[in-house]
Amino acid sequence: MKKDFRVQYPLWQMAFIILFGFIAISITGASSEMIHNDIEFSYSLEFPALESILLFITLAMTFILLIIFIMKITNHNKRHPQQKLSFWQIKPIEYLEEDEGMIYITRRAAQKVYTFFVWALPFVAMIYLLFNLSRLWIVIGILFLAFMQYLIFYIEVRKYVSKDEN
Amino acid sequence: MLQNRVKELRARYGFSQGELGERVGVTRQTIAFIEKGEFSPSVTLALKLAREFEVKVDELFWLEGEKPS
Repeated sequence: MKKDFRVQYPLWQMAFIILFGFIAISITGASSEMIHNDIEFSYSLEFPALESILLFITLAMTFILLIIFIMKITNHNKRHPQQKLSFWQIKPIEYLEEDEGMIYITRRAAQKVYTFFVWALPFVAMIYLLFNLSRLWIVIGILFLAFMQYLIFYIEVRKYVSKDEN
Repeated sequence: MLQNRVKELRARYGFSQGELGERVGVTRQTIAFIEKGEFSPSVTLALKLAREFEVKVDELFWLEGEKPS
């Protein structure tokens, strides 16, 4: 069960969130120029050396992780044809719902995530209101919330599924 | 909190958690949660488990502080 892709899925999301954070750092470090008039429309981004290297490495890692991620989903669907997962399904992939025990675990984890958001969202909103933060910090704040959401969900589910058969 | 004899009866019948789960239509993990008292099953599942062990539901599950039937 620990190796069930649905249990591991929050870890993948956390990895993608970290990579997205690095992409945000690179892009916000770039200087941009937009020309929009009657005869021309252009948008250009100019990256300093460090940010361009960071962006290149991050995009390469994202691409590699994405390929592994797709392979994992394909493997899961082959092994569990009755529980097929899709990139495009509306219901979150990490939900475990094959019986009432699994629904209970998912409910417990989702409740903890909900409790986190009840406190974290007003706190972050207050921070944004009080401080004049740059675009990067706003993105990092949102990514932090998303990261914590998956971390809390993963820890709670893992707590239940890691207990071995007697 | 709900107490139960699922583990005891499962051992008596020689079922693994996985086998018992298959017989009543749930996963091994759900049987493990029930045995540990971490999860109280629905009436439907309690009835299925009782039927599997050929006992009454109140012989299989009882409230903490009360004696099993």
